[in-house]
Formats: sequence, structure tokens, C-alpha cells
Amino acid sequence: MSETRTDSAQTAAAGIDYRRRQRLSRLAQKLVIFLCSVVLAFYVLAPISWLVSSAFQTEAEIVSVPPHWIPENPTVKNFTAIFGATEDEEITYETRSGVDPAAGGFIPSTAKDLPKAMWNSILVATLVVILNLLVGVPAAYAIAKIRYWGRNGSVYFILTTRVIPDIALVVPFFLVIRKLGLLDTISSLVITYLAVTVPFTVFILMQYFEGLPDELDKAARVDGCSRFQALIRVFLPLSMPSIVAVVLFTFLTSWNEFLLALMFTQTSASQTLPILLAAFTSDFTVSFSFLNAAGVLAIVPPVIVAIIFERYIVSGLTAGAVKG
Amino acid sequence: MSEQKSLLLGRRDFLRTSAAASALSLAAPARLAFAQDAPINMQTWSAAVDTVQSHINAFEKETGLVVSYGNSPWAQYREGMVAKFVGGAPLDMMWVSDSWLPEWAEAGWISPVDEFESLMKYNDEAEQFCTDSMTYKGRQYGLTYYTDFMAFLYDEEKLTAAGFDAPPESWEELVQQSLVMKEKGISEYPMMLAMAQESWLIEFMASLVYSHGGRFTDENGDAIMHEDEAGAVEALQWVVDAVNKHGVISPACVETGELSGLKAFASGNHAFAMVAKYRLRMLNDPEQSQVAGNVKQAMMPKGPGGEHATVGWMRFHGMATQAAQDQQRAENTARLIEWFGGKANGEYKFQKLLFLDIGAGFGVKPLFDDPDVQAAYDAYGDVEIIQKQQALAKKKDVVTPWFGEWNETNGAAWQSAILGNSDVRAALKKSAAKWDELKASY
Repeated sequence: MSETRTDSAQTAAAGIDYRRRQRLSRLAQKLVIFLCSVVLAFYVLAPISWLVSSAFQTEAEIVSVPPHWIPENPTVKNFTAIFGATEDEEITYETRSGVDPAAGGFIPSTAKDLPKAMWNSILVATLVVILNLLVGVPAAYAIAKIRYWGRNGSVYFILTTRVIPDIALVVPFFLVIRKLGLLDTISSLVITYLAVTVPFTVFILMQYFEGLPDELDKAARVDGCSRFQALIRVFLPLSMPSIVAVVLFTFLTSWNEFLLALMFTQTSASQTLPILLAAFTSDFTVSFSFLNAAGVLAIVPPVIVAIIFERYIVSGLTAGAVKG
Repeated sequence: MSEQKSLLLGRRDFLRTSAAASALSLAAPARLAFAQDAPINMQTWSAAVDTVQSHINAFEKETGLVVSYGNSPWAQYREGMVAKFVGGAPLDMMWVSDSWLPEWAEAGWISPVDEFESLMKYNDEAEQFCTDSMTYKGRQYGLTYYTDFMAFLYDEEKLTAAGFDAPPESWEELVQQSLVMKEKGISEYPMMLAMAQESWLIEFMASLVYSHGGRFTDENGDAIMHEDEAGAVEALQWVVDAVNKHGVISPACVETGELSGLKAFASGNHAFAMVAKYRLRMLNDPEQSQVAGNVKQAMMPKGPGGEHATVGWMRFHGMATQAAQDQQRAENTARLIEWFGGKANGEYKFQKLLFLDIGAGFGVKPLFDDPDVQAAYDAYGDVEIIQKQQALAKKKDVVTPWFGEWNETNGAAWQSAILGNSDVRAALKKSAAKWDELKASY
């Protein structure tokens, strides 16, 4: 006790307040973290803020210097052009959007197709997710838990399909789709997206299933479960993080996919959102304002999906990264 | 055990039935499609979709023929079409850029249409450079649907503020006016020139070269771009001096694409710009431009030995070879090409609609006399200047099967000279050498 007092006295005598120093150090650390967080948040949020802000600006306001982060003359005409169109009206010389002053000369005439394209994208992405799980979960379970001849070979084969670039698959896919008579249909996208996403799904789930103890499988079988029941009742509930990762991956891949959709779709009946968004930049005109309004709508579904599965995302993304 | 077996079989039956049902449902649309009469397959990029559709609907009513219309984004259109050609997708009529003509014709994907008298009769009223641009190895491959040229535009307000009554007549005069503007603080870089490596670059370079009285190639298609008197040397030297010596063009021009440059001009950053003529409408639209009402067109400035020439380009309606090989399909396709590229019910309806709707230029001279067209032009431009400049437009003299490959080297050579990394003559010699090498290898 007396020694401690002596130390304090010596420290005080030396004029060094270590506690204060420690407090200042912690404060500085927090300040640095806070500033970094602010910079990071700005870096991430600024483009999205500009996307949303400019969606409500006129084209003239968008190109103003300095830029207006808060619109001075906000307008919703981009959204009116998207949602205000009547769907079934026959397009004639009189009804074409080019002569409709309300549409504005720089709003693409295909603006009214955007809800349809969104629906196509949602439909394709949802079907791909469902079919991925239907195919991928049993396949991954079989590879992970059933020992059979050629197991390693099948794993390597599945992995091999992942290293082939999409561009190399375009023409073969095109020939198959054309032979099937599926050009310009939603089905063509679902089939080809499955070919791209199923290997990843199987790989991720297989890694996760392998991490689960074999004893679980054996216990389920002893209790009378068939293989299928063991998968459904035991393994699936334990694999939610990896299932969510797969759902997110396949949904976002399908949602954003461009190359195959470009090749296989031709009309608004099957065109997905990325194709329509790209088509808004024609060789004649482009409206940043309208493009950004369409961009705002395009990010809504993925954001909703991310919010729903948010609590699983981090654990799901690392699923299969290491063997447990 | 037997229970387990029945469950196993049931599951397999279920899977088998599901697979069969899926296959049937996927194949059903195809069967329906094959059952219908074959339509004329028309493929375009996604421009003026409503206008195209309205004209198709009128065609179907007029002829009783059915058109299957598909479109895809402009930026990926060529790649998509190549995949469709290779994959044997049903195609009859499609939009073609003059830049792709040699490639598509050499590959046998599109066929000449000059055996159809109903189409050739429109050549008399078309701009010569349009017909030239659709012609490859003496055969004409389509009818024009849109054409335009590189225009010289200026901001009248800035010009007046600098104390000038008239826009520059020559490139040298442009430098003098720009220096005054810089001195008065009107604009840091008065001239907007977009020299980024993109599809527009050749049009910018060709305008500069033609207005300096030069060419890239001679009548035989041999490179002359590196020659002092007949080539591109003066034009490139002017750009290099404008950037590095006078500072009237931003060094960032090598990173500036046409669209970025256009938006910069629309925001009031520059006094002069070289852009496609159809941009005039957008630049004078208060909804889209900060300098609306001030943007005027002048004749392209000329170099010491040049004239007010510029480059013109065009897109056309072409016929797929698979359509040309079947007499009935070819005739139907030719009717559709005429409906779009020629006259529909006695008038150049589609070209007029395209102009009125989105300001796209037309390649047929009689439309300049159309009162509707004149009224539309008067709202944002000077029809007399437009007509005068269009008459001086020339086709690109470098459109060959090896154009894409050469263009990479040529663009890099120009950029290198602009950035001061190489001498102007050395850059153009490199470009010419690449041209000769490619020409010999094709």
C-alpha cells in the first residue's frame, strides 16, 4: 500500500497523469473510429443519396454547377412516366409517346415498360431461387453425407463449371434455347441462370453440410428417418445461414444478370430490368434524371430482400469458408 | 421395409412427373410459336421504340403482314446481333450502323438490296454520303433510316460577352476567341472536345481532319493519314497546340466521352463544342440544359487548306441473308424496308416522325422542304445552316473490316500526341503503319 502511494507520488512528482493519458487515448481512438465511420458512411451513402435526389430533379438541374443535393424544383414526372402509362392501349401515330408533351421529350418511350420489366426480374429471380434450393439442397446433402463412387469426381465437375466464363457459354446456350424455341421467354432465363447458379449453391451447401456432424445423420436414421426426412427435419433447420446466403446470391445474381438476358430477350414480354435500364441510354438521347429514377426502383427489391435476411447475412456469407 | 420402398418409388414418380411437367410447360410457348404464320423478324436497338411500334402497326394494317419486333440496348447491340447471327436466330430486317457494314457483309450475315427496284428508286432523293455509306464493294445494303453529322455549336451569350459578333470561321480564329474568353474569365476551357476512346472518337477525329482538308486514306484505301499535305497532321497538331500551348481545350479531353462532354457544355462550362447535330435540340431545351436558348450552330471551322467539311454517318435498314435466300421472305422484308426507309403512303413518314419525336436527322433531301420539319427546326436551330452543313458531310473513309482493330491503335496514337507523350508525326506514322499491316493481312 505504501509502495503504491510511493509510486503515485513518484508519478505525480514526474508530472505524468497516466489515467488522463489513457482517457485521452481512448477518446482519440473513438474519435478516429467515428471519423472513419463518417467517411465510410459518406462514401457508401453519397452515391445512393445522389441517386435518390437526382431522381426528383429536372435534367437541367442535374447538370447545374455546383450540384443540388436537395432539389430546388422537385419533380415526380419521371415516376409519373413510369407508373402513369396505360398498358393495353394500341400504339398508333397519334398515341405514341413521342408526341405526348406530358411525357417530356427526353423520357424514353419505353418508360412504361419498367414495371413489367421489374415483374419479369422478380419472377425470374424468385423461380431461380426456388429451383436452386430444390436442386441444390438434395445434391449438396448427397455429396456431403453419402459415400458413393465418383463423389470426388462429381465435386470437381461441379467446380469446373464455375470457372467457365459466361461469355464462353453464350453461343452454346443460345443454340440450345433456340432449338427449344424459348427465345424471348422467361423460361430461357430461368434455365440458363440455373446452369450458372446451381454449382455455387451446391458448393456452398455441401461445405456447410460437411461441417455438421455425421452423428446427427446417423441418429436421425436410427430414429427412423429416411435420407429425405433427415435432410428436411435435421439438416435444413441447422443450415439456415448458408441457405440464406444461397438465396441472396442466387436472387442478386438473377436480378443483376445482363449478358444472357441481352441475348435471349427481345421484347418487353421477357426483358428484365438490367436490359431495360441499359436501353434507356439509346444512341439518340439519355436522361440522367430518368435513369436515376429507374435506378431507385431497381434497388428497392434487393434492399428489401437484404433487410429481411439481414440477421443471417454475415454468418451465411462465411458459410463454407472453413471446415468446422 | 415395404413402406419405405413405396415412399421411395413415390418420390421418384413425383420427380419424374415434375420433370415431365416442367419440360412440357417450357416447350409449350415454342410449340405455339411454331404453329403461327412466320412473321417478319425485325431487330433494332432501343431507340424511339414507340415511334417504331406505331409505324409497324400501320404497316401491318396496310399490308396484312405480321412483324415480330425486338429491340436491345444500343451499347450492346452489335455484340448481341453477332451472337444471333452465329446462333441462327430468325432475322429478316435489322438496323445496321455504317461502321459494321464491311464486317457483316463479309461474314455473309446481311445481303445487298440493290436488286429491288422498289428500294433503289429512293437513292435520287437521298444524300450522296448516305448512299455511299450503305455501299460496300459496289453493292448497296439498305435504305437509310437516320443520318446525322458532326456539328460545330457555340454559346452565343459567351461569344457576345467576349466581344465577338460572329462565331469563328477557322480553327485559328477559334483559338483567338478562346484566348480572349480565358482572359476575361468567361470559360477556363472554351472549347469542348471529347477525345476518349469510345465509339464516337472516330467521328470527332474525322471532322477535324476533313475540315483541315485532309483524309485518312486515299481513293484506293491506302493510308495517307501521316502525309503532311493530304493527311491528318495539321488537324492533330491543332488539337495538341490547343491543349498544351494555348490551354483552350482541357487535357482531360482524352478522358471525356461524347455524353460527358455534352453534359458539360449543357451546364455552361464551355463556349464552343463539337457534337452531333441532333444534340442541338436537347441543348436548347430548358428542361435539359442550363444554356438553353443560347446554343447556335455555325459552319465547321476550317483549317488553312481546308473547307467547312465535316463527317456524316448513318444507320440503315438492312436485310438478313437468311431472308434474302427465300423469295417470299425477301419480298416481304423489302416491303418493310421500303415502309421504313422509303415512303409510306407517299411520304417519308418514318424519317419525319423520328425527326419530330427525338430530333434525329434524316438522309432524304425533300424533308428539308416539309413545313412541319422547318417549323420544328426553327424552334431550336437554323434549318439553312443545317442543310448547308449536311451538304458538306462526307462518309468516314476508314470503315473497313479491320476498322475496329485499327481504331484502337489510331485512338491511342492521337491520345498519346495530345498528352505530349509522342510527336504528332510519329503518332500518325504509327497509325498509318497499323493500317497498312491490317490491310495487307485481310
